[in-house]
Amino acid sequence: MSEVMTLQDKLVKEFSLLESSLNGQAQSPVHAVRKQALKRFAELGFPTIRHEEWKYTNLMPVVKQDYALTLQAASNLTKADIEPFLLPDVEANVLVFVNGSYSVALSTIISEKGVEVMPLSEAFKKKTATVEKHFAQYADWQNDAMLALNTAFSLNGAYIEVAKGAVIEEPFHLVFVNDSRQSSTFAPARNLIILGANAEATVVESAHTLVSGENVGFTNLVSEIVLADNARLNHYKVQNDVEQSHFVGAIHAHQEATSVLNTVVVTLSGGVVRNNLSAVLAGKAADTHFYGLYLVNGQTLVDNHTLADHAVAHCTSNELYKGIMDDKATGVFNGKIMVRPDAQKTLAYQSNRNILLSPTAVVHTKPQLEIFADDVKCSHGCTSGQLDDESLFYLRARGLDKEQARALLLYAFAGEITEKIELEPLRERLESIIAERLHQEFV
Amino acid sequence: MLTITNLQASVEGKEILKGINLTIGKGEIHAIMGPNGSGKSTLASVLAGREDYEITGGSVDFDGKDLLEMAPEERAREGVFLAFQYPVEVPGVSNTNFLKAAVNEIRKHRGLEPMEPKAFLNMMREKMALVEMDQVMVSRSVNEGFSGGEKKRNEIFQMAMLEPKLSILDETDSGLDIDALKIVAGGVNKLRSKETSTIVITHYQRLLDYIVPDFVHVLYKGRIVKSGGKELALELEEKGYDWVKELALEEAVV
Repeated sequence: MSEVMTLQDKLVKEFSLLESSLNGQAQSPVHAVRKQALKRFAELGFPTIRHEEWKYTNLMPVVKQDYALTLQAASNLTKADIEPFLLPDVEANVLVFVNGSYSVALSTIISEKGVEVMPLSEAFKKKTATVEKHFAQYADWQNDAMLALNTAFSLNGAYIEVAKGAVIEEPFHLVFVNDSRQSSTFAPARNLIILGANAEATVVESAHTLVSGENVGFTNLVSEIVLADNARLNHYKVQNDVEQSHFVGAIHAHQEATSVLNTVVVTLSGGVVRNNLSAVLAGKAADTHFYGLYLVNGQTLVDNHTLADHAVAHCTSNELYKGIMDDKATGVFNGKIMVRPDAQKTLAYQSNRNILLSPTAVVHTKPQLEIFADDVKCSHGCTSGQLDDESLFYLRARGLDKEQARALLLYAFAGEITEKIELEPLRERLESIIAERLHQEFV
Repeated sequence: MLTITNLQASVEGKEILKGINLTIGKGEIHAIMGPNGSGKSTLASVLAGREDYEITGGSVDFDGKDLLEMAPEERAREGVFLAFQYPVEVPGVSNTNFLKAAVNEIRKHRGLEPMEPKAFLNMMREKMALVEMDQVMVSRSVNEGFSGGEKKRNEIFQMAMLEPKLSILDETDSGLDIDALKIVAGGVNKLRSKETSTIVITHYQRLLDYIVPDFVHVLYKGRIVKSGGKELALELEEKGYDWVKELALEEAVV
């Protein structure tokens, strides 16, 4: 128990150091929220498996590591170091954060019209009113220790504000590097993404950990997304990190009338990976799509908790998460659909499908429907099983060997998610990684 | 080409094939008929290498090689093709990519280079015409959402693409209306050659009006109880399978 307290104590101590460095900003409303959030985090502590929401995901081994908190340290990473993390041949706005700090040298901002994009630390000063209006309004940290922690340490991350009616063609790639080569590092970051009415944008988030020796990285990344009337956001989250990396993150979206959110979360490797995703459908006929793929082996644990929260009438949510697990990998899917009393004519669909390739791979899947309106259409379903023998035989009877047939079927299974990615270079890159891994590792 | 000797097979401990003897020469078409449950589809599955069956005795020689020793994919590469009674839907895998992989595996086995994309497309176009497949069907996922007739046409299309030495058509006529039956049979006939052989498994004589066999065998309770020329199919049609059952009884008495 005392060890568990260590990181918590360290964080509390770090927070007071941080306050002293904030100067004038220590009096700001945002910092008042941080202070309350820290207090709440200290009360709640890191979640244990006794917590219903953390039943299958044990953070204790993650939290017990000895992490450095280099929250405002400068980075010596070079463009070459981060090159592998970037999308090839894409004109994109790239914002790179190393251990939570913004790297001017590694970032490239190319979009000029219709968008204000900057590190959040800068937005606190330049965009104070807008930040104060939205910051911590959608990610409810009162009942979530990890969100409270993130809110307390929300010093930096990306700030993207797309103007009313602006359609930004260039995607925003938010790259979060946890540099744990010197010492195991805890790296928090916070994004605020705001789309004005009729605005459109594409955001890619990826987290990457650099390690050496026995070190591990722990990244805590939260994005708040606000979509005004009829705005449209494609949001892609990519996790293809080293085994010695742990990730606890969340996306909290708030959608006004007829806005559309498309999210795709793809997890290909990592240590303990926890993704929370929630969208509040707060305006009439808002539309949200949650797609997820976890294709993992080794000892990787991937936990996806999602919430489609229908607050008003005529909204649609559509969710499909698919998992392929090999070796001793664990998948957790908890999908909640909330239909509040005013949300008549809701359409809400949810499906979770899993393929287990080894007897030691596990999946825990749980749909949760809470429906308080009577004129709604909701459906959910989940499956867990092996590859279909009949399909395998069919492919083999045409000359494909067993491994090829398996890889082809698994690739097709995963393809139903990757095809939802409209950003072609990203989709192609993921598809080639998946194809390669299926032929080499999942045989 | 194919010599089946005293082949016995069982599934979940139940003996289905009780000693099949059959020799199929190059360029020949053999029809295997019989009532439901006689073992027709089991024979097809055993020849293609389906793993649900246990071979309890006998042997199968295919062009001098022991067929029963081979994995399903090896049999396919050696030139055995099974047109499935129930073709499987494979969502997410396009017909084109699937066939490209299959054709190139078979070519590799024969010591050939993978086909050039253009040559492959030309071949596709040529073979599509045989069974009146259109481009839309070919670019869709394998059999996904296909009607019964489309699935069977797709089987014959695959057969045309893979150019097998021995084709086994497992109740390819079941579930087909007369127009689809003519298309499928037409495709098979166009693929006939002196070098290739075909086994047509069917319950009904109807298909044999379009694919005319050289030999007809009647399977009953896991054994071939009667063999003859194409006229045997007509005789069966006329007398019904009860006649076969009587034949089998007589044989047992003798």
